Amino acid sequence: MSAGTPAIRLAATGAALGLLVVLAVGLGSSFLQPGRVVAALAGEGARMDVVIVWTLRLPRVALAVLAGMALALAGALLQRVTRNPVAAPSVLGITDGAAMGVVTFLWLFSDSANVLNVSIHWQPLAAAIGAFGFAALVAALTLLDPAGPSPLRLILYGVALAALAKAAVTLMMILGPVYRAGQALTWLTGSVGAAHWSDVAIVAAGLALCLPVLAALRLPFAQLSLDPDSARATGLDLGQSQVAFLALAVVLTALAVSQVGAVGFVGLVAPHAARLWHGQFTRGYLLSSALIGGLMVLGADTLARTIAAPLELPAGAITALVGAPLFLWLLMKGRRAHG
Amino acid sequence: MTRLHLGLALALGIAMVASLHIGLRTYAPGTVLAALRGSEGQDALIIATLRAPRTLVAAVAGASLGLSGLLVQQATRNPLAEPGLLGVNGGAALAVTLGVTLFGAGTLLQIGGLAALGALAATGIVFGIAALAGGTAGPATMLLAGVTVAGMFASVTQLLLLVDETALETLLFWLSGGFADRGTDLLRLGLPVLIGGLVGAMLLAPSLDALGLDDDSARSLGVRVVAVRLGALGLAALLAAGAVAMAGPVVFLGLVAPHIARRLPGSGGMAGLALTACLTGAIVAVVADIAARLVVAPGEAPVGAVLALVGVPLLVALLRQRRGVAT
Repeated sequence: MSAGTPAIRLAATGAALGLLVVLAVGLGSSFLQPGRVVAALAGEGARMDVVIVWTLRLPRVALAVLAGMALALAGALLQRVTRNPVAAPSVLGITDGAAMGVVTFLWLFSDSANVLNVSIHWQPLAAAIGAFGFAALVAALTLLDPAGPSPLRLILYGVALAALAKAAVTLMMILGPVYRAGQALTWLTGSVGAAHWSDVAIVAAGLALCLPVLAALRLPFAQLSLDPDSARATGLDLGQSQVAFLALAVVLTALAVSQVGAVGFVGLVAPHAARLWHGQFTRGYLLSSALIGGLMVLGADTLARTIAAPLELPAGAITALVGAPLFLWLLMKGRRAHG
Repeated sequence: MTRLHLGLALALGIAMVASLHIGLRTYAPGTVLAALRGSEGQDALIIATLRAPRTLVAAVAGASLGLSGLLVQQATRNPLAEPGLLGVNGGAALAVTLGVTLFGAGTLLQIGGLAALGALAATGIVFGIAALAGGTAGPATMLLAGVTVAGMFASVTQLLLLVDETALETLLFWLSGGFADRGTDLLRLGLPVLIGGLVGAMLLAPSLDALGLDDDSARSLGVRVVAVRLGALGLAALLAAGAVAMAGPVVFLGLVAPHIARRLPGSGGMAGLALTACLTGAIVAVVADIAARLVVAPGEAPVGAVLALVGVPLLVALLRQRRGVAT
């Protein structure tokens, strides 16, 4: 492969994302032609177009892209750390843990008039606490497993605890009063629905904080793809870097889930797509995963709001329809290659 | 019938009587007795038209799921197998939803038939995937495949309901899974299925006993391994379908009940165990239904959420057992 190819492939993925953004901004109850969208994005064009694009459609599009990026990065990190191709935030119970954190937060801090008595901007923190709690529980169960820790155990405990989190969420929603209980239901299946620039800013800030860390940890990330002994031989502190990447993955998941809900399977599918399209040992693999994750969630959300307009379907249902068959296929294929 | 069965039947009786008394409003035995004799008034109405049907539906659906879980676990020698976790309930729910949204199905027979078709198809898909994963596929792979298939069915069901709002109104309540507000006419569907399943399980019992060893030993005892396994799985799917038609998809019951049944001493062979699983399933369902009325009172919890609180710790404990759950 020539030296330029990875860069070209990244550029192509980026261009595809750009095109989808223009298309997604244009689609809606009043259709805007791509030309008008671009003009409005540049701040020119009709006043009406600028309002529609900048205040109505762009926040939602930006949120979908950023959340997709965060989920895809989390998935790529988890797959590398656990050395398991079926690892993903939604499989490991982290997504449901974050959901439980959010619902607990809404439940604890809403009064009888269904009004939240603290700022909604604490929600990502609650999601992070829930996600960390469940991740820690899953990790502890795996490490303490009598048969010894194994990637498959990790996933099984994740699946089991996810069921527990779901049950707890259901019970808490009934116990109510929950602030925005109606919206909480849609949010749980994953929906980009009501996006504001403030939501976008939170995810963007979180991603911006994680990126330098990821860049600094580029070498350990590559070393982790070796088997444990070789990785140690290259001078890697295995335990420490695994914990660091797991924590990073949990933060990224919590960030995305707190804003768009439990959009499942993105963290599973996007890294695999990047692996096929870009190669997981090529420079820019993580960037490629992130771009594809953004494409996926934006595509699913755009489809979800146009396919049965004016009805809005949860984007999570659409990503699940793509992701679940892939998971099954990996399961069938993986059993032969992995233990 | 052993002493264990008599004891369990007695416990079931007590649980069912308690279920008539306990709830948002707790009644004195005299009121309940009068209501069952057909007295008038609000209390009598609540007991006769709400409490009694849900108690009966819980007992029958619980017994069906308990037996279904036992059959799947025995036939596949997989302690993690359960109709809910394997996507069988989800398949039945999806088939019923499809029938209602696309063809306007509504009669009891249609819904029962659709549930059976969906349950059988889901069983086929999950076991097909597990078979394709190669002979090495352990119980864990099957569980993962089942959970994923169940999730996929659930999101298709959800999409269908969002698109068709009239179906949403009719089905949403049923789909949440539970025993409250189910009509007694459903028992005309569920009870024959349960009795048929129990008879079938009794007929298969000697072969299933042999299958508890390994395939080769069973074969050398003259058991037609494939036929017995398919028969048991089919029976389990039909039992699950009967339960789903009555109570909607209820997870974890089929996991919890057989494991309790196995740990109770004195069932005898598979035939006795089948009866024990039925009785434990019914008891667990009735007790969980009482708990569902109380934990979030004055609201009403979905019985599935209550069962998950018990079922998940059990699942984790099973996963932690070194033997039995070879991955």
